[in-house]
Amino acid sequence: MSFYGRAPRLEAGPEPEKPDLPDDDAPVHSLPEIGAKIPVTGELLATWMGYADIQRRTLEAVQNELTRTSSTVEDATLDLSHRFRELAEKAMQQSERVEQIVGMAGSVSIDGERVPMDQLVTGMQQMIADMISNIVTLSRHAMSMVYLLDDVQKDVAELEKSIGDIDAINRQTNFLALNATIEASRAGEAGRTFAVVAQEVRHLSRNTGALADRMRSKVTAVVKGVRNGHDILRQIADTDMSPQMLAKERVDKTMDSLVDQTNHFQAVLETAATVSSDMSATISRMVTGMQFQDLTKQRLEAINDSLAIMAEGLNELENRTRVEMPASLGPQVPQEWLDELLGRFKLSEMRQRFVRRLLLEGTALDEHGVLDVDAGQDDSSGGDIELF
Amino acid sequence: MDYGIEDKEQETLVRLRGRLTFNDHAKLRALIREMLQNKAKRQVLDLSTLEFVDSAGIGMLLIAREEMANADKQLVLRSAAGQVKRVLTVAQLNKIVTIED
Repeated sequence: MSFYGRAPRLEAGPEPEKPDLPDDDAPVHSLPEIGAKIPVTGELLATWMGYADIQRRTLEAVQNELTRTSSTVEDATLDLSHRFRELAEKAMQQSERVEQIVGMAGSVSIDGERVPMDQLVTGMQQMIADMISNIVTLSRHAMSMVYLLDDVQKDVAELEKSIGDIDAINRQTNFLALNATIEASRAGEAGRTFAVVAQEVRHLSRNTGALADRMRSKVTAVVKGVRNGHDILRQIADTDMSPQMLAKERVDKTMDSLVDQTNHFQAVLETAATVSSDMSATISRMVTGMQFQDLTKQRLEAINDSLAIMAEGLNELENRTRVEMPASLGPQVPQEWLDELLGRFKLSEMRQRFVRRLLLEGTALDEHGVLDVDAGQDDSSGGDIELF
Repeated sequence: MDYGIEDKEQETLVRLRGRLTFNDHAKLRALIREMLQNKAKRQVLDLSTLEFVDSAGIGMLLIAREEMANADKQLVLRSAAGQVKRVLTVAQLNKIVTIED
């Protein structure tokens, strides 16, 4: 039994006033003085001693139960606090993660730079608009070229016809020069000079013919090139790009949908981050709330101290009474009271501890230390509460 | 594609029908010449019965606009619908040519 020396020592104090007992030898009006001997029946004394014994044991058992309960509550509270702190930490981590996602959700990484989604979408839409603008410009230029080459082909055909005309003129010139030569030789000596001129004209005509041939071959090459170019250009201009232009409609819708979805995700994630943060704060408050256990422990210790003083006082009185009692009288066990007391314990293991403390203490079992082993048994394994 | 020209007081109304594609380039050039010879300043192309235009067609419309501008005339594209309207919108042709509903 714990006793801290704070309790008053009872043997030094004045004896309490004894209750007035009926006595045939003494007059009714004279009260016995403190310290005077008064007759008491052996049965009353034995019953009192029995009660005192059980009371003392009960007090000790109650102290043990209080200590045990305090310890159970302390262990459970520490365990709960620990788990709650873990929970709070995890909620905080989750909140941080979600906040990170919120920060990332509205933007994408391009070449290591964060670009906001709406800016990205606007940029891409502008890019496509530029592309379409280029297609329109190219189409316009291609059609201008087609019209230009149409004209060039007409001009070249004119040129071919002109070369044909030169050939005809040349043939006629050559024919005239030949006739002139014949006429000059017929004229004899008088036509000799004229024959030289006619010969020169024939030379000239041959040269002109050669030039016309060269021109024809060059013009033919130009015509071929222009026709090829015209064909290629027709193919280019005939490639319809309008489906690609109309793809912008689809891209615009997709981009708008993407922005909407991103905004929705961001809103949901922001809510989730707030909830996680709130959870973390609530759990922290719960951990603070668990400090009630400290106060409970202090109160139970104070109660235990009071009980110890009471048990010590009872022990002193018991010892003193035992000295005064005849050796033949032993304490009488108050069976009814004991039955009533034990009947109140609904927890079987607690009842067992009380039974051992009240009935078996001081017996052979106690001397062999069996009670101490049982009393020390840990019953906080999961808080199994047995009711019957 | 084929077309019909209708002279009005203030404008010349040209109604285009069918599909305007690259194959119509010679026909469109002839149309441009006719429009240039017309006295009205406002040359309106009614596109309500034009079903389709390809990118070459868009190029030709722009050439027509340029030719009209060079001759101090105004080209107006009117009542485009369906694919034609979508292509004109996507190409943002309203920035270059007057477009009327």
